[in-house]
Order: sequence, then structure tokens, then C-alpha cells
Amino acid sequence: MIVFVLLSLLAIAGALGTILWKNAVYSALSLVGTLLALACIFVTLEAQFLASVQVIVYAGAIMVLFLFVIMLLNAQYPSEDVDPLPWLSPVVIAGGVVLAGALAYTAFLYKAPKPLAEAAKALQGGAPGPVGETLFTKFLLPFEAVSLLLIIAVVGAVALVKREPEAKVQRETLEERATHTPEEVVV
Amino acid sequence: MVETSYYIALAGILFSIGAVGFLMRRSVIQMFLCVELMLNSANLVLVAFARAWGNLEAQTAVFIILTLAAAEVAIGLGIIVAIFRKRVSTNVDDLSGLKG
Repeated sequence: MIVFVLLSLLAIAGALGTILWKNAVYSALSLVGTLLALACIFVTLEAQFLASVQVIVYAGAIMVLFLFVIMLLNAQYPSEDVDPLPWLSPVVIAGGVVLAGALAYTAFLYKAPKPLAEAAKALQGGAPGPVGETLFTKFLLPFEAVSLLLIIAVVGAVALVKREPEAKVQRETLEERATHTPEEVVV
Repeated sequence: MVETSYYIALAGILFSIGAVGFLMRRSVIQMFLCVELMLNSANLVLVAFARAWGNLEAQTAVFIILTLAAAEVAIGLGIIVAIFRKRVSTNVDDLSGLKG
């Protein structure tokens, strides 16, 4: 229980940091903290494979991509414009508190379908072997669909950031250059 | 063992924080980070229920969601970069026009 409380405090602190920092780089790094805390929580939930994937793919690859884009666009700092909707923040915060309360209240209405220790044993620790077996039997169609999705995403990302071809510049060929007399050639 | 309810409550709180941040922030990139936060809280719910039922299928679904998130981030950041080239801004208030 102590481990859970510590990890969840870490996750919530990271999440609050994500939304409260003005600097986007700090936000992204706070989110990395949340993701790492969630990876540890996955370990306590008998999902070791997902925990490692969370660290490698999410905290590693995806967040690096985020930081790369933030620094590429030099978008660390928000623009200094006036807020067009000054009344929005209090309303949103009140709504968020209500939403969090409602979700947490609903969570405690949940009745476990079977004893936890017995159910947790069936997961075999969430090791790569059992998870892979499910992935390649019951989840074969989603697996193939996801591979198609990744191809589309790669092609789409390249197509989105590709620059428009520049207007064709008339270039002098070597043959044309050779016909010039030495006086004409501008150095 | 910690009861499933606590994990679900934690996921609810994280989701709410993400939703609040999405509505409050004006920077596209920070809004996108909040979307990732909400996606992760959904993952946490799936993993928690996987343990409650002793069923690995939810964990496999989370694995597929992770792949999906990677694709989503690649496309989303591509869109942000493409918009930035046109408008030189990542503030959503500057991007309200529908005509490029």
C-alpha cells in the first residue's frame, strides 16, 4: 500500500507539473516522470512486459520525439498574448474537480469479480511469453491492422512535413558554359 | 495487494488532470501532452481490470494502444510542424482560421 501511495503521488505530481509549467520542455519532462511512475505501477499490477514497453516506447521514444519537436520549433515559451477567455480556467478547474470526484466515487462502487490473489496468479506476472501468445492468437487481426496503421502513419508523417518543391531554377549546362568566350564568363 | 478500486480512482484523477490541462493550455504541444496523459490513464484502467479478472487480453490490448499512440504522436507532431511552417505559431488562438 505504501508503494502504491508513493507511486500515485509521484504520478499525480508529474501530471500536475505537465499542465502547470509554462515552459513546454518542463511539461514534457514532468510527463516523463508520470510515465515512469505508471510503469512502476504496472509492475505492481502483474504487467512486467507492459512496464518495460512503457519505459522503452513511451518514456523513451515518444517523449524524445516530443522534446525534439518542441526544440525544433523553439516553442518552449507560450506567446504573451492576452487570454481571450479569462473565465475559462476557473470553470474548467471546477469541472475537473467534479469529474475527478465522480470518477473516484464510481471506482469505489466496483466489486471484485473474484479473489484478487487468485486472479493475479492467472496472469503469470504478465511476462512477454504469455502476452505474446495472446497477441498472436486472439489478437492476430488487430496486430495486422496495427502494422498497416504504422505504415500509414509513417507515410503520412513524411507527406505532412515534406516541403513544397521549389520553383525550378534555370541552370546553365556545362555545354552552354563552354560556348561562352572567356570575356563573357563572370567570375 | 492493493484493491482494484484505488487504481481506478488514480486513473480517474489522472484523466481529470489531463482533461483540465487540455482545456486550459493554449499551446498545441502542451495540449497534445495532455492527450497522452489521458491515454495513459485509460491504459492504467485496462491493466488494473486485467488483474481483477485474471485475463491477459486487456494487457495485450494495452500493447496495441501503445503502438497506436506512437502512430498518433508521429502524425500529430507532423501536423504541428506543418502548421508551424505556415503560421509560425503553436498557439491555438492563432490557428482558428479554417482556410489555410
